[in-house]
Amino acid sequence: MTAIDSVSFFDTLASQMNTQPTVYEVLGDVDMDFAIVMQRAEADAFRVMLTFRGITCEGVTEIDAGDEARADFRLVGALDAWTAMFDDIVEHGHATGRQTLNSLTLLGDAIAARGADPLGVDKFFRFNQTVQAFVDGAGARAEVVDVEPAAT
Amino acid sequence: MTEDARYTDLPTETPMGAPLDWAWLRGASSEWGVQPKPSARGLTMMDIAVGSYGEVPDVAPRRTMSPRGADIEDPTPDMGYILNKKSDVWADNVRELYEEAVARQWSATRDIPWGDLEELPDDVEHAICQLCTTLAEVEMIAADLPAKWMWRMNHDFLEAKMFLCTQIMDEARHSEVFRKRALANGGGLLKSRDVGTSLLRTILEAKTYTQASALLHLLGEGFILDIFRQGELIAPSDVEKRIFRMAMQDEARHVAYGTLHIRYQIEHDPDVAEEIHAALDHGENVLVEFGSQPDLTTAIAVLLAGGVDDIETKGFPEQQALTAKLLTSYLARCERAGLNRVERTQLPLDLLGIDPASITAAN
Repeated sequence: MTAIDSVSFFDTLASQMNTQPTVYEVLGDVDMDFAIVMQRAEADAFRVMLTFRGITCEGVTEIDAGDEARADFRLVGALDAWTAMFDDIVEHGHATGRQTLNSLTLLGDAIAARGADPLGVDKFFRFNQTVQAFVDGAGARAEVVDVEPAAT
Repeated sequence: MTEDARYTDLPTETPMGAPLDWAWLRGASSEWGVQPKPSARGLTMMDIAVGSYGEVPDVAPRRTMSPRGADIEDPTPDMGYILNKKSDVWADNVRELYEEAVARQWSATRDIPWGDLEELPDDVEHAICQLCTTLAEVEMIAADLPAKWMWRMNHDFLEAKMFLCTQIMDEARHSEVFRKRALANGGGLLKSRDVGTSLLRTILEAKTYTQASALLHLLGEGFILDIFRQGELIAPSDVEKRIFRMAMQDEARHVAYGTLHIRYQIEHDPDVAEEIHAALDHGENVLVEFGSQPDLTTAIAVLLAGGVDDIETKGFPEQQALTAKLLTSYLARCERAGLNRVERTQLPLDLLGIDPASITAAN
């Protein structure tokens, strides 16, 4: 069972995306690097850089504190918030209601979209459907995804 | 120009007697032998911007429709372009944005799951229909305005014109999808009042493309981008979520062009900043009137609250908070474009609890 704050979880999402070209071709090409930061209560945050080119996720790399600033944008939130989001996705097959990434970051309390350059943050909006479809991939692979966080 | 010796024995006249010089075959003076390398996604505008073909002049030498880089034979017809400086229209990301726009076109007919619409409570259906009525009205301004200026732009800045063509298509699609949603689920189009048209007229009647782009791309479309973000949040079903998410993607491209275009222009012609500030001084006031018009605000507040019952306890407070975020985003984009609006704006930052320091600091 795969914890969400792990490279292997995001590798699974990347594989999910890369084996569904028909889904992502419709959405169109992307060109972005974004980081996800999951803040753990008792330990350092988990940070992962995700690289997207065309209709594939080309890279999933765990990164050190501060490296997330290199991304076009970063999505930062407590592990509990990420868990709630992926719980919703696994339950419904895709994010619903206020658990979409746009909703969560718009309200800003649980997960925030940040970046040094507003134009980098705008890539979150320009490619939003692709980003959402990527995380929604957790719902398609529910049998191998366990949204319990890793032991700290 | 060196004539190619292989082509010396060609007809000198057509069968109808017209003279032939075969100049295009015997050695035109334009660059020949270009070998761009297609990238992974195919042959892009960035890939073919090689050698002399990638050079965009700071000032166009002619006012002709001849393709940039061609062997142009003077005299050429004067097309009367009035935007002949690169800084008048260019943005450093315009080629990438054009390719992105082409790759991410979607269909309001086919790509929205209209069949999944279900009956909504009456107040919620009214609210989404009012929101869509307003959006169906305003979206076409972002098609009308580029169209107004495009034919006045020098053809040497082809990529900027091509991008604006994609914007026109995007906005037609937005008008389409919001009109469709208003009519698709047992509701209809609702109120249209003068405040909306006043804003649109302000944008359309801007006297220069500089002012027009600032008003449209930076101010107006930045506002609409955030309305689309809110739309995705408040959407009563997955159908509307998809509509707003797809429209949001398009709008963000337009804002990206506008932000970097304004920045490019200010970098190359700093005196233009005051003209832009003056346009935004007026535009922000008109936008505040538009953004605070009761039809739009109450519709959004009802959707935030999930109905009229909680509008005062939930709808209006959440809307106030989102308005603060919206204006913060706009002011941050102005900073990125090289315009410090924080010092100059008449927007009610204090009233909305916006900290000016948060706008200039990294996000």
